[in-house]
Amino acid sequence: MKISYNWLKDYCKHGLSVEKLAESLTNAGLVVDTVSPVEDDFCLEVEVTSNRPDCLGFIGVAREVATIVRGKLDIPDVGYDTMDENINDITSVTVEDNELCRRYTARIIKDVKIGPSPGWLQKKISSIGLRPVNNIVDITNYVLMESGQPLHAFDFNKLSESRIVVRRAKKAETMEAIDGSKCTLTDDMLVIADFQKPVAIAGIMGGKDTEVSDTTRNILLESAFFDPRSVRRVSRKLGLVSDSSYRFERRVDPECVDWASRRATKMILEIAGGQAVEGVIDQNYLEDKKVCVTLKMSHLNRLLGLQIEKDTAKDILGHLQFSINSETEDGFSVDVPSFRGDVYREIDLIEEVARIHGYDKIPIKSNIGVKLTQDNQFDKITEKTKNVISGLGFNEVITDSIVGDSQNRHGTLWSETSSLKILNPIRQDEDLLRKALVHNLLRVKKHNQNYGVEKTDIYELSKVYLPKEDDQLPEEKECLCLLGEEGYLALKGVIETILNHLNIADSLESTHFNFGLFCPEKSAELRLGDSVLGFIGELSKEVISDYGFRSKPCVAELDFNILIDKTNLESSYRKIPSFPVVTRDLAVVTDEDVTWADIKRCIESLKIDYVDDIEFFDVYRGKQIERGRKSIAFRITFRADDKTLKSDEVDILKEKILTNLSNSLGVNLRA
Amino acid sequence: MQERLSEIKNQAKDDLTKAGSIEEVETIKTRYLGRKGGVITEIIKTIPGLPPEQRSSTGKSANILKNEIGKWIEEKKDGFNTSADGSFSLPLPRLKGEIFDVTLPGEHKPYGRKHPLTQTIDEIKGIFKKLCFDIEYGPEVEHEYYNFDALNIPADHPSREDFDTFYLGNKRLLRSQTSTVQIRVMEKKKPPIRMIAPGKVFRPDTVDARHASMFHQIEGLMVDEGVSFSDLKYVLTLFAQSYFGQDIKMRFRPSFFPFTEPSAEIDISCSLCKGKGCSVCSQSGWVEVLGAGMVDPNVFDTVGYDSEKYTGFAFGMGVERLTMLKYGIDNIRLFFENDLRFLSQF
Repeated sequence: MKISYNWLKDYCKHGLSVEKLAESLTNAGLVVDTVSPVEDDFCLEVEVTSNRPDCLGFIGVAREVATIVRGKLDIPDVGYDTMDENINDITSVTVEDNELCRRYTARIIKDVKIGPSPGWLQKKISSIGLRPVNNIVDITNYVLMESGQPLHAFDFNKLSESRIVVRRAKKAETMEAIDGSKCTLTDDMLVIADFQKPVAIAGIMGGKDTEVSDTTRNILLESAFFDPRSVRRVSRKLGLVSDSSYRFERRVDPECVDWASRRATKMILEIAGGQAVEGVIDQNYLEDKKVCVTLKMSHLNRLLGLQIEKDTAKDILGHLQFSINSETEDGFSVDVPSFRGDVYREIDLIEEVARIHGYDKIPIKSNIGVKLTQDNQFDKITEKTKNVISGLGFNEVITDSIVGDSQNRHGTLWSETSSLKILNPIRQDEDLLRKALVHNLLRVKKHNQNYGVEKTDIYELSKVYLPKEDDQLPEEKECLCLLGEEGYLALKGVIETILNHLNIADSLESTHFNFGLFCPEKSAELRLGDSVLGFIGELSKEVISDYGFRSKPCVAELDFNILIDKTNLESSYRKIPSFPVVTRDLAVVTDEDVTWADIKRCIESLKIDYVDDIEFFDVYRGKQIERGRKSIAFRITFRADDKTLKSDEVDILKEKILTNLSNSLGVNLRA
Repeated sequence: MQERLSEIKNQAKDDLTKAGSIEEVETIKTRYLGRKGGVITEIIKTIPGLPPEQRSSTGKSANILKNEIGKWIEEKKDGFNTSADGSFSLPLPRLKGEIFDVTLPGEHKPYGRKHPLTQTIDEIKGIFKKLCFDIEYGPEVEHEYYNFDALNIPADHPSREDFDTFYLGNKRLLRSQTSTVQIRVMEKKKPPIRMIAPGKVFRPDTVDARHASMFHQIEGLMVDEGVSFSDLKYVLTLFAQSYFGQDIKMRFRPSFFPFTEPSAEIDISCSLCKGKGCSVCSQSGWVEVLGAGMVDPNVFDTVGYDSEKYTGFAFGMGVERLTMLKYGIDNIRLFFENDLRFLSQF
């Protein structure tokens, strides 16, 4: 809402400088965004919150100012003389839908002289950015800005059968609006029509055919109250927004409908000449309900945490035009003025008193004391995980949950169901909720590579959205995605380090896994016990060339909920062994299809108490090994809790292990 | 073979005893241990060709000798760095002309960082934990009910306009505010409540330097008997002073949120211009950092709290905005491009 500093003084002689005015309004809840000089005046851009349509007019803002300075509000006089002819003799108004049109008033002014408005009027409306058109249109705009009540003037002679019908549009009816847009209407839209056709879309915009022009002599002046929700719906549907629709959809003051009509009529007579026809057509379907609210000072002071005197509260509300109708020791009751539809409870009155009294007067004090807080398990594990990953050199990234279809290009990880789709996306090609993080990380890698950052060890811990049936909310799976530049084993090592720090008892099992994103050789499904933890793999050639990567990244995506389930935060101390260990380094030759996991499992299956650790060294293929076979070197650490193991004892165990390996897996000691 | 090794051992001992300078020691080192042609090196190379029963023992002895000679060489060299009377002098160069450059840069291991937004959230969580607030989370895809209706924002109401929202059909949407978590927590728990809820929110805003379609908010809620606006001011003042510094100025001004009454917006004095007016604060000297208010009784009624008995306050803040203010970041998109040259600054 634009406010002219000079114009505002017509309604309240506040005596504030423009800076002080802006500050005072801001502190009362009407934020002044900008103050711009306009000739000898200032234009203030005031932010009016959606609960305060009463401040969408100068008088409403002046009322606030008058309350702030405890001054007087000057409301213009609206009396005028009329001719003998009665309005009912020359026109009629039929309201067919009184749900959508709650009140409709019409006045007629005859023999007006259309022309430019006088200079003072042009200057006023120009000061708030309105373009002068002609005296009649300028006056309706002036009164709209003054009162917040939208008005419309029809060229009365152009109305078929000289009458108004307020009805729903017929199917596929059309109308050209004043701004030139051609509207195709539907039967849920309220229109103002004459005998034949729509002449205005109710509360939104008038029609071109019946607008006031240079040849207009007689005017029908409309002032009405339209259902806010309906105006809002139609305005959105047609994509038509106007100063009128903006106010109607926020609810105009029912009692101002007639006042604004009188005010405009009086101004037309003064400025454009002519004569007012006697009387008014006023179809009023609004219930005349008085809202009465009681305020208890004890409630007010307890909620705000201060001490305000009853007289102060009464004074504030009085200036805001709430009328006090009864009083008790602790409080009083007020009648709420019709323009304050937002006030209907005690709490609303408390807010009125508080904001005018000043939030700065409320003390900054408290006795809220201490309270036991509950530890958030998710936060603890998240923090621990992120710390471990950071320590290993990975940077955290955060990417958009809304993605395009390319996320499915190389297959989907967690769900085959099609992604949730946004009905009103900003960009048509980005309208899906991601089902995996990995594609976003590849895009981050690509972005960095484009800017010359070659090594991107990154991770993200965020949600993916897996659709469920029908209208259910999706499963929001918390996933941990890692992208590393050092290959499969290095990234797997990162994951193992995380598991280790989270004290997870289940051992990590990897099985070959074929997935479009990964190179078939170096990719695996990762499991912890019965649960699928996630997937890991170096990128396939196709994906690497698709993104144009210059390195060969390895990625992993894990179900973080599984990590949370398996985490054991209550670790206990393990005694440091007091007897020395004995180690044996072994190199064995096996067929290609025997895995390290097989060998390890085979040794563990013997359940030898003294085996403390089995540590992998390396795999060797080459000259000294037969083609199609490989050599695996590892170390077994033996230890006893109660004695020093003798070399002979250990050698017996070693032989036992080797025999078992040979029998079960055909694995033999390297010659 | 064992005899040959013991000969070598004696010879090496002899050579080293006679050596009179560092250079001579280096020559001896090459003679015995050099990668190419060193006496011990050559012997080790022959081991695979020996009869199997000799391999292991010879290998072992050769290695022991290799280590022994290596040790003698180092001891001899150290001897040259110590003066005759045994006291230490400044270390002499190890080789002629070679000086260890102590000004060389240290060797770095990679260290990753948390995203700056995570760091901000962590810091804010830390502050509120000290004030005994719990941390709560809620879903990002929500029912319209939690995002609007339960928060006293009826359908077809202009107040919905303040919350442009992505819709998913069947009354589902991407939450446009973390206030949803207030409702979910109050449905589950009885007062007293003190909680904050950080998380992602989504709005179909035109993307520019200040607006992104996805960003982060932190919602806060405190409900108990007798909680007042004074408590609200107290808690949020402590927060702002803790996060922005003790010397900031604050301004509480009336505003409107459908789920609080009375409502407030909270400005702090612009840290860049110290309140004089600059582009960050639109010349006003103030920057808005928080929205807050006393919980509207309608919200309590919706979740089944006795609004006669309990009062409370709620607040919300934008994580990106706070982070941008703190570091002077001028473009919100930087957070989601994830350029490592940006991320590694925090």
